[in-house]
Amino acid sequence: MASRGATGRIAGPAGARHEGFLRYAGYRWLKIALIVSFVAILIYGFHNPQPRPNGGSWYGYTLGTIGALLILWLTMLGVRKRAMTSGSWSLKAWTSAHVYLGLSLVIIATLHTGFQFGWNIHTLAYVLMMLVILSGLYGIGAYASLPRALSDNRGEMTQMQMLESLRTLDRQLHDAAQPLDHRFAEMVRLSLDEDPFAGSFMTRLTGRYPRCGTRAAQAAIREVTGDRPALGGDPLEKVDMLLGRKEAALSRIRQHLRLKALLEVWLYVHVPLTFALLAALTAHIVAVFFYWG
Amino acid sequence: MSFIVRQISRTAEGREIVRPSRFDKAELSIGRDPSCDIHLPDLAVTLQHALVREGANGTIEIAATAGLPFDVDGRQTERADVDPAKGANIRIGGHMLSVSHGEGEDAGAVILSIERVGALSDASEAKDEQKVFSLAAAMPSKRRMAWTLALIVVALGLLWPITAFYANQDAKAGEARPTAFHGDELWSPGKLSIAHAGLENNCKACHVQPGVVVADDACTACHTNVHDHADPRRLAAAPARPGALGQAGRAIATAFNRPEGRCADCHIEHEGRTAMPVTPQKFCADCHTDLSKRLTDTKLLDASDFGTPQGHPQFRPLIATRAGETPTVQRLSLDARPLEDNGLKFPHALHLSTSNGVARMATTVGARYGFGKSLVCADCHVPDAGGARFQPVSMEKNCQMCHDLAFDKVGPTYRTLRHGDPAQVVAELRAFYRSGGPARPFGLDGMRRRPGDFGATRPPSRAASADAAIRAVFSEGGACYDCHRITRTGPDDFHIVPVRLPDRYMMKGWFDHKAHATESCESCHAAKTSESASDVLLPKIASCQQCHGGEDAHKAVPSSCAMCHDYHQGDVAPHAVRAGWVRGEVLDSPRRRAADAMKGTGS
Repeated sequence: MASRGATGRIAGPAGARHEGFLRYAGYRWLKIALIVSFVAILIYGFHNPQPRPNGGSWYGYTLGTIGALLILWLTMLGVRKRAMTSGSWSLKAWTSAHVYLGLSLVIIATLHTGFQFGWNIHTLAYVLMMLVILSGLYGIGAYASLPRALSDNRGEMTQMQMLESLRTLDRQLHDAAQPLDHRFAEMVRLSLDEDPFAGSFMTRLTGRYPRCGTRAAQAAIREVTGDRPALGGDPLEKVDMLLGRKEAALSRIRQHLRLKALLEVWLYVHVPLTFALLAALTAHIVAVFFYWG
Repeated sequence: MSFIVRQISRTAEGREIVRPSRFDKAELSIGRDPSCDIHLPDLAVTLQHALVREGANGTIEIAATAGLPFDVDGRQTERADVDPAKGANIRIGGHMLSVSHGEGEDAGAVILSIERVGALSDASEAKDEQKVFSLAAAMPSKRRMAWTLALIVVALGLLWPITAFYANQDAKAGEARPTAFHGDELWSPGKLSIAHAGLENNCKACHVQPGVVVADDACTACHTNVHDHADPRRLAAAPARPGALGQAGRAIATAFNRPEGRCADCHIEHEGRTAMPVTPQKFCADCHTDLSKRLTDTKLLDASDFGTPQGHPQFRPLIATRAGETPTVQRLSLDARPLEDNGLKFPHALHLSTSNGVARMATTVGARYGFGKSLVCADCHVPDAGGARFQPVSMEKNCQMCHDLAFDKVGPTYRTLRHGDPAQVVAELRAFYRSGGPARPFGLDGMRRRPGDFGATRPPSRAASADAAIRAVFSEGGACYDCHRITRTGPDDFHIVPVRLPDRYMMKGWFDHKAHATESCESCHAAKTSESASDVLLPKIASCQQCHGGEDAHKAVPSSCAMCHDYHQGDVAPHAVRAGWVRGEVLDSPRRRAADAMKGTGS
């Protein structure tokens, strides 16, 4: 913290506090999005299409056009983020606008529907859009809360350092197990041959590894050594101790993997559903013009 | 035989370090035990794993000793003969033994090159940090998911409907398409109205060509007898020129190939399984607001909104101003206080009084005819079958119970004069006197005679002879005169001015009495104070405006034009009334009830 403060003094008042994409330029895009949403609701209130609000009224078409263009622009963040620039169209500004204008789409698109929903391509596009926005909201929450937990768990270690400590333990285990006969060697191999990064999507998200090889190896060895006095010099005792340390290292890595998974999982909804949305949006627009009313 | 064992290891930079050792033995042991000739520090290798020994014809034999197999050139086995001249790769655990024969100074020896090829643990293998620490390791790639989902949506939401459209051969004039789910139904933004429910799965019946709006042809294919609202040329000249915004809107609509004036402009579909929505007011007001400025010769008065001042002209009912064989009938504004002449003398106030002779009469005959203590409107005005208007009032049904035309009694039977036929009346009276009946007919000053009072009737005061009796009945105080206007063209030629009571005043608009059943008659019709039949008892527009406003009015009943007027005007109630529509919701209608009944039986 001290070094940050020092940097702030050197950089001047503007750099005194970190400004994330959420609070960029004094919440400029939040304000713009709120104004856009408010105006959209206001016009909707005064607009009185007969027999009822509908995507096909002049205001419906207007909102639809704005919404569709907005969706295309929001999608362009995927392209834009690959090129970093600074200034008022910096990536941060762009992300800030992406978040807040994306949220205003909830209002714009919902008003565009006129609250008419059904089992059709039009509602599919709407639902996909809402799922994309919801996943984006989750992403904002994750980015706001998870990095601290991630950093706490890591305890100043880099990912490769975590992996390296595991490798060291594996080498020590390997060496310590050399005198063991084949049966125990096989037990130790349960731990050594286990891929610390294996596991399904759900395993990563929950951080639960019920078939952990290291734990299985330790349990098997303890079954043998459990009723023996610890005399020291027994290679099994050392292996047991090393397996315990490995389990601790593994649990740190697994917690790290879990937090990273929670941090990344929304993108696996956000990005693929965005493309499904683009397809549904295309079908929605083609349907409207194909069966032109 | 000699074996040269070369233990190969690598530095961090990848440089090879070879540690050779020579064994002049016929047999070498391989295992994890440090006492083995070839020591493999590998947990996948047992303490005593295998033996290598000299075989026949210069070959060597490798055999497992602990029953655990090894690989020779990728093939798993527990025993193998290897020709050093040909060489072989033997894999035991994480180690590779390459067999070759020695050359040069090592000629004749078998060389076993040993190198660890497997990592000692999974974690020790090379890992791509970016990948393994990311969720990407446990997920299909986002790109693949994106493409898969997008393609599924395109296939279901785009290709299937378009294919279904082109495959539809049943669209001509709304033929039924086979009952099934067709792909293009996925595009339907809402259910069709009840009237069009049969076309629900046949999009092409209306959407005939891709990219072309629903044309009137599609409607008139079934609706063959719909007539135009007016002469098309006058229709074209009637709309107000739109403002800048309106013009922009029109320009955009034209650019998107949406011409104006189609059936579908007013008849909006896909709004749910209800009666078809009522045409919005603006479609009428577009032309009828200030219509007289554009169609200068029009007889129609301008109308824009029922609720606003000057928004709708005063009612102009069709009123008979002179009764007769060919009555004069005119549309007159109620503001001009028109006087009606329907041929009848009938003071409503007299008949509705609660205290005069009429009331007493009603009390007397009430039990027989269902009257109360005095007459009320409903005693004469009985709703017609539809409830919108009333059955015609007639002498026989509504007057005769008090105003009877009895003039003689034969036994228990009364003889009555024939109503509506003056010549017959004259003939009856002459016959009465000729037949030498009672000296005088009775009671033909009829107005105050009560049925059943025959015996108490006083002898007629004036008619002493047939001529006098005839004259009396057609003169003031006589049975005919008090209700009718009479002309006389000869001694016995009496004529009654024909009575024509209108069953409908508002010929251009629709008024439904049943819809106003919660109101009392008097709240609109000032009958109780009307002393003369010439009073037109219709309420003025202000009376209606107490409850009814325009389409957007904050009145009890917002009323668009369609509530009273039909674009395709006929003799029946407007569509909005038939369908029971009020502002976007169907309240109650025969169609709605039928639809509900269908739903009930269907489930």
